[in-house]
Amino acid sequence: MEKSIETIWKEGFIKNDALVAPKLNDLYNQKSIDIVEKFKYMYKINRIAIVAFAILIIPLSYATKMIYMGIPMSLLFIAVSFIAQKLSKQLDIINKNTSSYEYLSTFDTWVKNMVSLNSKLSTFMYPYIFIAIALGFWFIDIEGTLLGDRLINGFVSEFPSTYLVNGFPILLLIPFFLAICILAFFGGKIGKWDINLVYGGILNKLEDLLSDMEELRK
Amino acid sequence: MSSDFYTTQILPYAAIIIKICRAYTDTQEDFEDYYQEVCLQIWRSKDNFKEQSAWSTWIYRLSLNVCLTFLKKKKNNKQNTPSDLLPDEVLVDSRAFDDESLNQLYGAIRQLSEIDRGVILLYLEEKSYQEIADIIGTNTNNIGVRITRIKERLKKKLSN
Repeated sequence: MEKSIETIWKEGFIKNDALVAPKLNDLYNQKSIDIVEKFKYMYKINRIAIVAFAILIIPLSYATKMIYMGIPMSLLFIAVSFIAQKLSKQLDIINKNTSSYEYLSTFDTWVKNMVSLNSKLSTFMYPYIFIAIALGFWFIDIEGTLLGDRLINGFVSEFPSTYLVNGFPILLLIPFFLAICILAFFGGKIGKWDINLVYGGILNKLEDLLSDMEELRK
Repeated sequence: MSSDFYTTQILPYAAIIIKICRAYTDTQEDFEDYYQEVCLQIWRSKDNFKEQSAWSTWIYRLSLNVCLTFLKKKKNNKQNTPSDLLPDEVLVDSRAFDDESLNQLYGAIRQLSEIDRGVILLYLEEKSYQEIADIIGTNTNNIGVRITRIKERLKKKLSN
């Protein structure tokens, strides 16, 4: 008579060797390598995107008659990609022949340095981008007149009593410089938010894994 | 994970984890990954255990959840991989128990849907309908009918 599935199940597991637990080894090691490798891959893609943007923005800005925005933006992104490339080289030399904890800790230190550097750069970068965009719009040529000149002329005819500084209405200069100050003030925070947006998921995993490992070491 | 915790709280229940992980994996490599992940999740979630159920029931639940999550991830990865590049190994179970009938039964179980696999494993582990319903997160009324259907399907597969 055929055995029931219940009997097959019970008899099959009578022998203890059917249930030998695998050794818990290399788990953290594997996870550490996975996290760092995934981060490296994302970082590489990000760098490629920055270089591509630095190149593409020149013809794009030329086509949209905003070359005064395109050139400074391109220079900025070339500088950013150069810095990222230097940071990436430091990442490549992290020694894999150490314990998983040391490996991840070194990587974590690198990430913190990268975030800190990015925050400092962002303090200058976002105001710079704002100025570049403003320049781009200012120098757009519309029927032989610059958009900036049109703006000033319009503003002065609307508010003839406005105070001018080197030919620029102070009521335009104040919000312009205020925006620069706000961007400089919040630049670091925006930079951190930007990093979190791109790498947040993987950095959270890194944090979890490190805290697991730290608990283990207690 | 401390070795103490593993030895006292997980190892005595390793059979549960092994039986479940075997039903959700095709290769020894996957099985070891799933097993390790289940152990890690048990350790991570140990503070969430409220003693409203038995520790073993908690382990069943976590093991099933981890296996179902892993399987979902694996399916997503497969969808991103051209089918002609899939290695043959993933389609063939590379392990075998000494008992041939048990191998066939596992083969048949692995052909069931993810949830049905969980239901029948819990049934074979002599869990009550109430416990199965609690672990799977369904109604007790459906469990009996479901088990009967699954057993019929398994019988058919085994007789083929």
